[in-house]
Amino acid sequence: MFLSRPRSTADTRLAWLFAAPALGVITTIAAFPVVWTFWESLHLHDLRMPWLARPFVGAANYREAISDPRAWSALAHTIAFTGGTVTLELGVGLVLALALSRTRPGIGVLRTAALLPWAIPTVVAALVWRFIFESPGGFANALLSKAGLMEAAPAWFSDPYAAWVPIVLADVWRTTPFMALLLLAGLQSIDPSLYEAAALDGAGQLRQTIDITLPLLRPAMLAAVVFRSLDAFRVFDVVYVMTGGGPGTATEPLSLFAFRVLFRDLRFGYGAALSVLVFVVSFSLALLWLRLTRLNEEE
Amino acid sequence: MALREPVLRASIACVSILAAVVLAGSCRGGSGAPVLTISGSAVGREADLLQRQIARFEAAHPPLRIEIQPTPDASDDRHQLYVQWLNAHADDPDVLQLDVVWTAEFAAAGWILDLERFAPALSDFFPAAAESVRWNSRPYALPWFVDVGMLYWRTDLMAEPPRTFTELAGIAARSIASGRVPYGLVWQGARYEGLVTVFLEYLSGFGGRILDERGAVAVDSDAAVGALTMMRDQIVAQKIVPSAVLTWQEEQVRFAFQNAQAAFMRNWPYAYPLLEDAARSRVAGRFAVAAMPAGEGGASGAALGGSQLAVNAYSDRPDAAYALVAYLTEPAQMLERAEAVGQFPARESLYGKGPLAAALAIDPAAAREIISRAVVRPVTPVYAELSEILQIHLHRVLTRQEEPRPGLREAADAMRRLFNRTRLAAS
Amino acid sequence: MMPWSRRLATVGSVAIVAAGLIPVYWTLVASLSPEASLFTAPSLIPTALVFDHYRALFAGLAFWRPIRNSLVVAGTTTVFAVAAGSLCAYAIARLRFRGRNLVLAAVLAVSMFPQIAVVSPLFLMLRQVHLIDTYPGLVLPYMTFAMPISIWLLVGFFRQLPPEIEEAALVDGASRLQAFRKIVLPLAVPGVTATAILTFLYCWNEFLFALTFTLGPERQTVPVAIALFRGQYQVPWGQVLAGSVVATIPVVLILLVAQRRIVQGLTSGAVKG
Repeated sequence: MFLSRPRSTADTRLAWLFAAPALGVITTIAAFPVVWTFWESLHLHDLRMPWLARPFVGAANYREAISDPRAWSALAHTIAFTGGTVTLELGVGLVLALALSRTRPGIGVLRTAALLPWAIPTVVAALVWRFIFESPGGFANALLSKAGLMEAAPAWFSDPYAAWVPIVLADVWRTTPFMALLLLAGLQSIDPSLYEAAALDGAGQLRQTIDITLPLLRPAMLAAVVFRSLDAFRVFDVVYVMTGGGPGTATEPLSLFAFRVLFRDLRFGYGAALSVLVFVVSFSLALLWLRLTRLNEEE
Repeated sequence: MALREPVLRASIACVSILAAVVLAGSCRGGSGAPVLTISGSAVGREADLLQRQIARFEAAHPPLRIEIQPTPDASDDRHQLYVQWLNAHADDPDVLQLDVVWTAEFAAAGWILDLERFAPALSDFFPAAAESVRWNSRPYALPWFVDVGMLYWRTDLMAEPPRTFTELAGIAARSIASGRVPYGLVWQGARYEGLVTVFLEYLSGFGGRILDERGAVAVDSDAAVGALTMMRDQIVAQKIVPSAVLTWQEEQVRFAFQNAQAAFMRNWPYAYPLLEDAARSRVAGRFAVAAMPAGEGGASGAALGGSQLAVNAYSDRPDAAYALVAYLTEPAQMLERAEAVGQFPARESLYGKGPLAAALAIDPAAAREIISRAVVRPVTPVYAELSEILQIHLHRVLTRQEEPRPGLREAADAMRRLFNRTRLAAS
Repeated sequence: MMPWSRRLATVGSVAIVAAGLIPVYWTLVASLSPEASLFTAPSLIPTALVFDHYRALFAGLAFWRPIRNSLVVAGTTTVFAVAAGSLCAYAIARLRFRGRNLVLAAVLAVSMFPQIAVVSPLFLMLRQVHLIDTYPGLVLPYMTFAMPISIWLLVGFFRQLPPEIEEAALVDGASRLQAFRKIVLPLAVPGVTATAILTFLYCWNEFLFALTFTLGPERQTVPVAIALFRGQYQVPWGQVLAGSVVATIPVVLILLVAQRRIVQGLTSGAVKG
């Protein structure tokens, strides 16, 4: 919601002044890399073969990316991963945030403990979850056999679809605290008198949550979801440590594919094109979300 | 305006602080004596050893000083760092420790120095090691130490190591049936370079090669299909290899054998001293090593690993850097390395009767025999991409997503396309 | 609130948090166990407790140095990112000016380039200005993700605040800056704290930039130090896990202190009609 004063030049000057430090830093540090990446993507640049020089090839790298089935699989994996993890994280995070907000404010230890998974280095978290799912000695199979479901248990990391389960679980475990924390902070801005009024009107807990909490939480929720989505889109560490993209390439996300192209195949031109494509897709997703937010704002 | 001043002042203060931090942080001390930097393994005993050897070199070459630039041992991390530095034409580090499969890539990229003008004597090194340092018939690095894939076997489960895959399968099945061990054989089956080295050994056991003598892709030959089918059958049909190996790298394999869970293990020499440690290993004193078995029509092979030392092409002190490389690869230093860390020297002459027997955990004659069967991975600048293609299809076949023959044919086709696209054939 | 719902909430959150802590607990147990037992059937109940891994951390490896470096880098980045970011976020959230959406889009766009793509040009750039292996040489690149996080999240939080109080203050003659400092910031403490914590943790766990832009133990951060433990094939799992546990301690302490501010709004009574 914006203030209802008309736009003024003083406001505009002030806004640019406020934004100057942040914009200054970002421009200084990011301008060159971004421009460089765009420029590289238009050249054939293979570090292994300097005798090919670095000719300008226009959109050739992009054409190759679009016709590369491995790039498309990677994109599909990334989109599926993003959708799955962000949905789960939003759900569990919301429940956790609501529960935490209603506990006695003094249980700081609980809130700190809730954040611990996020504090563990990604590499270690991935290793731990790999231990859990690594058959045959892992916890997962131990639990399943206790529950008598051992026959249904796949060889987790050898199955192209089952391998996603540990990966998604590890990521959800790690980043649900992120969502919960943001939502918890967002919940603090909601005026408790609204709840009191609703309670007086006879609304129960669930009704209050649906009618008051969720709508008022929407800006914070959307901010968290958009940022987490962009983050999940760039997933790398978790998959790298757990499966290396395997079995075969069944769990390879875009970032891992681009990493291989850039630093294993040393194809900087093609790698830059892939990175630009990641950027374009992310940006489109973000714009889509922003459009949805704007629609909600105008209500 | 009353409001802008505090904001303006605050902004100026912020920018000044930032600038001061930037300037302060970027001040470095001036240089005095000439300094050489060597980048390599600097963990634990290797670090101490390197320090000792470097100190001796410094004493013999005043006023030169040598610094060690530690880099992560994880292959991808170190490779990525080298790429950044060399792409930026950094003159540090002057000496680089390279994985055996990087030399052709770095040589073609113009990042490491052609050592032809120093006329290093390569005849004393193992032929396989000497082959792996050459690109376009010129030497670009010197072998530092070699690694070979070996078969570790349990002396309490059998009298003699198997010579053929059939024998191995038989012994493994009997050991599992008798309940002594849950697994027959364990090897590195995760989707990474280690899988290619294991495959290489099965491949040579069946008489196949990745690239034939003319440098053409030969990984879809009948021998290769036989080798891959054998690997898959060991997991699926014979069940002597657990499917868990498909996510295992060296350490998990080692621990399975170390915890007495397997009758056989295929691993590198680094595992030997760890398995001998009675405090931690359950198989101390109950195992030995042998060459990998062979199949029909093939010979036992050992994938060649190890490291080499190269000189940075942008180094400002190439002669001194080469002197260091030559020093570290001298027989005396290699022997010391074997004693301190247990790594196999790359010089064949050291394996005759001599002090090496006391230094190495295994009999030098046995080691030399295995190393003489070393199989070199294709020496080409595009090896990394080649290997990735192979890894993907190998892993798909082993995880039953593909069949061996079509899978290897796809891999071979992709490799041929790669060679065509880059207009490169193996040297 | 009804007491039974509060009890349910407490029980529920304890249950979720406890379930989430099992892997953390396992890490702790594993870091205190002999290495070989890691690869046999893992159990939650340790059979033997050994402190070797922790001894090794501080004896030979001087692990306090990477911790110091991580604290400095993550702390500095967070302070700058949140300070500059909250100003910028306020402008975007509350002030109508042409180019508002462009600024937000540009800020977000920067964080959408994969790190692997920008690490090479950043390396070349930092090398030119001799900032490799320095604190600023890490803080500046970290701004490429810290600033967008801060701005984006804070815009969300600022937009959630009811504008009436601010408007009232402005009508009463306060300047924008005063309204920002005296009214918006205190109300937004939960959001600012949450943003700061998250930015800090992002920086704390970051690996690629830290690996590429530092050269030695004087400036390397915790994730890089842990990555340097391993040998070519051999990974000292005990040390890696112990290092991770030790590295989490400063973070836990900071969290314990900071998380109080997130729920401060509830008890501060600032949000009253």
